[in-house]
Amino acid sequence: MSTRLVGSVAATLAMVLVAGCGGSSGADGKIELSLGLFSDFGYDKLIEEYMASHSNIKIEQRKVKMEQHNTQLATQLAGGRGAADIVALEEGVVSQFRASKDKFVNLAEYGAKDLKDQWAGWKWNQGTADGGEFVLGLGTDMGSLGLCYRADLFAAAGLPTDRAEVAKLWPTWADYAKVADQFAAKTPNVKFVDTGRNVYKAILDQTEEGYFAKDDSYIAEKNDKVKTAFDQAAALGTKGQTGALEPFSQDWNVALKQGSFATTTCPAWALALIKAGAGDAAAGKWDVTTAPGGGGNWGGSFLAIPKQGKHPKEAYELAKWLTAPEQQKRIFKETGNLPSQPKVYQDAEVQATVNEYFNSAPVGQIFATSAESLKPTYRGTKDSKVGPVFGTALTRVEQGKQSAADAWTQALKEATDAAK
Amino acid sequence: MTVTRPETEVAPAASVSPSKEPPKRFRLSNWDARYTPYLIIAPFFLVFGIFGLYPLIYTAWVSLHDWQLIDGDQGFIGLDNYVTLFGDANFWNALFNTLSLFVLSTVPQLLAALGLAALLDRGLRGSAFWRAGVLLPNVISVAAVALVFAQFFGRDFGIVNFLLGFVGIDPIDWRAETWASHLAVSTMVMWRWTGYNALLYLAAMQSVPKDMYESATLDGAGRWRMFWSITVPSIRPTILFTVVTSTIGGLQLFAEPALFDPGFAANNSTGGSDRQFQTLVLYMYEKGFRLFDAGYAATVAWMLFVVVLIVAVVNFTLTRRIAGKG
Repeated sequence: MSTRLVGSVAATLAMVLVAGCGGSSGADGKIELSLGLFSDFGYDKLIEEYMASHSNIKIEQRKVKMEQHNTQLATQLAGGRGAADIVALEEGVVSQFRASKDKFVNLAEYGAKDLKDQWAGWKWNQGTADGGEFVLGLGTDMGSLGLCYRADLFAAAGLPTDRAEVAKLWPTWADYAKVADQFAAKTPNVKFVDTGRNVYKAILDQTEEGYFAKDDSYIAEKNDKVKTAFDQAAALGTKGQTGALEPFSQDWNVALKQGSFATTTCPAWALALIKAGAGDAAAGKWDVTTAPGGGGNWGGSFLAIPKQGKHPKEAYELAKWLTAPEQQKRIFKETGNLPSQPKVYQDAEVQATVNEYFNSAPVGQIFATSAESLKPTYRGTKDSKVGPVFGTALTRVEQGKQSAADAWTQALKEATDAAK
Repeated sequence: MTVTRPETEVAPAASVSPSKEPPKRFRLSNWDARYTPYLIIAPFFLVFGIFGLYPLIYTAWVSLHDWQLIDGDQGFIGLDNYVTLFGDANFWNALFNTLSLFVLSTVPQLLAALGLAALLDRGLRGSAFWRAGVLLPNVISVAAVALVFAQFFGRDFGIVNFLLGFVGIDPIDWRAETWASHLAVSTMVMWRWTGYNALLYLAAMQSVPKDMYESATLDGAGRWRMFWSITVPSIRPTILFTVVTSTIGGLQLFAEPALFDPGFAANNSTGGSDRQFQTLVLYMYEKGFRLFDAGYAATVAWMLFVVVLIVAVVNFTLTRRIAGKG
C-alpha cells in the first residue's frame, strides 16, 4: 500500500516535472511554436491553415499590449528563457533591440537574404544590421501616413468634406494649422486635433533624420526639423486647438465616441483603432485623406527569432510564410494593415480596396500612394528613449503648464541625458 | 548551558537499562525540544532567503555595476550610480511625491479606519454585512479600482469634475496639477485600504475588556474621552502594526499612480507630463523596464529600501509615543 502510494507520488512528480520542462515538443510529438505578438496582426486564420498543411507543427499565439510586450521581451532576453519562438518587434523599438542582436538568430543563416527584394528597401534595411549581413527580422506591415477627419464636423465648420478637396486644403503642415484656425473660429466646442503629439510624430516621421543622424549620432539639438515639428505641434496646443489626449488611451476612445475632435493623423493600422473607439454610431462620419507634408512612416513591425528558442529553423519557415506577399495581401484585406512590400501594395486588388466604415474611402490607393512617396526616418539605437521626452513636453504645453519655449528647453535637456 | 537541568539527574535513575549512556528516547526528546522549533520556522527563513534576502543582495550587487537589462553586466562602477542618484532631480521629485502621497493617503486612512472600527464596534444591526462590506474595496483588483477611479477623475468627461461643476468649480485637470493628482491617487489608496485597517482595529477593539468602559462610564466619562483614553491605548499594538504595514505599502505605491497615468500603456509613462505623481517605484520602473538601465533601477530600489526602513522606524517610535500617552 505504502509503496504504491510512494510510487504514485513519484510518478505524479515526474509528470509535473516533465510537463514543466517540456513545452517545445508536445506529448503528441509535434513541434510547438509560439508567436509573441501585440495588437492584431491578423494571423488567426493563417495559423490555422499553416497547422493544417504542416501536421507536425502546433502554433500558439501570445497577444499582449505593445508596451507590455516590449518590456516582457527585454526581461525574457535578459533571463535567457521564456521568450516566444517568434517575436514581433515594432518599428519604434527595433533599433533598440538591434543593439542586442546577439540574443537573436541571424536569419541570413537560413537564407533570408534571398527574400530581400520582396520588401521596400528601407523596410528591409530597418530589419537588418551590420550593413545587411545580419538579418534581425522580416517585415510585416508598415504605417504610411494618412489623415483622418470627421466629415460632418468639417461641414459644420463650413469646410469642404470631399476627401480630394480636403487634401487640397493642406499641402503643408502650415496650411493644416490655418485650417485649424478656421475650424476653431466656427466650431469652438470641438477640438481640431486629438493631440499635438500625433501631429509632432507625423511631421517628424516625414524627415529622413530625426533625433539621430544616419551614423547614429545624436543631433536633436541641432536638427532644425525637430524644432520645427515641435513648434508647429506646440502652436496648436498653445492655441487650445488640441484635445491634449494621450494617444490611443481610454480618454482618447471616449473623445472619439463623443466626437470631441475632428482630425487625427492615421497610419494604416490606426484605422482599426479609430473604428473601435468611435463605434458603430460614427460609421461613415470619419473619412481618410492625404496627410500634409507628404509621405512618412509610423509603425509597422518585424518578426524576429530569439536565439533561446528550440526550433529556429521551423520558426524561420513560419515567419517567412507569414510575411510572404500572398499572406500580406490577405492580411491587408482582413485587417487593413498595410503591406510593406511594393508588389503587394501596387497590386490592383489592394489598390481597389475601400474601407466602408470610413465613408468607403479608397484606403488601398491612399496608403499605397503615401507609401510610394515616403522617406523613412532613420531610427537611432536610442530613439525609443529620446522620443517620449518630446511627447511629454508637448503634453505640458497642452496642459498650459509650460510655454512652448520652456517645454522645448526642458525636453532638449532630458533628451540629451537620455541619449548619453 | 552550564546549568544542569533537574531532569538530567532524574532520567538515568528512571532508566531500566544499567548502561551509562542516556536512553535513546530521552536523547531524542531532548533534541526534539531544542531544535524542533527551529526546524519548524526554518522553511520561512529558507523561502525568505531565496525570495527576499538573495534578491536584496543581488540588487545591491547590480547597483554597483553599469548593468543593462538585456545585455547584462557592462562593468563594475562602484558607487557611481549612487553619486548620480543623489544629484538626480527626478529622484528627489519621486521621493517627494512618494512621501506626499504616503502622508496624504495614510494619515486620513488610518484615522478613518479608527472611526469606522469604533462605529462597527458599537454593535450595529447586521454587523456581519457591514464588516464584510468594508473589506469589499480591498478584495477588488487594484487594476479595476484604478481604471474606475481614472475615469472618475477624467478631465473632460469625469464624474468628479461634473459634480464639482454644480458647486461652481471649474473642471480640474487631475493629471496636470501636482496637488490634484496626489489627491486623486490618495483617494484610490484610501478607498482600497481603509476598510482593511478598520477590520484589524475592530478585532483589537473587541478584545478590550468591557469592564473598563463600565467603570469609565460610572466615573462620568463621555464616549469621546473613553475612545481616546481607553480604546486607543488598548489597541496600541495593532495601531503600531498598521502604521508599519501601511508605511511599507504606502512608500511602495505603484499600481495606483501607474494606472492613473494614461501614458502607462504607451511608451512614455513618467507619472504625469512633468512627473507630477511619479513615485519612487514608478521611477525605478521607468529606469529599469523602459530605459533598460537595470543598474540604476537597482540603485533606486536600494534607496527605496533605506527610505522605507527609516520612515518605518520613525513612524514606529512616533506612534508608540503618541498612542502610549493615553
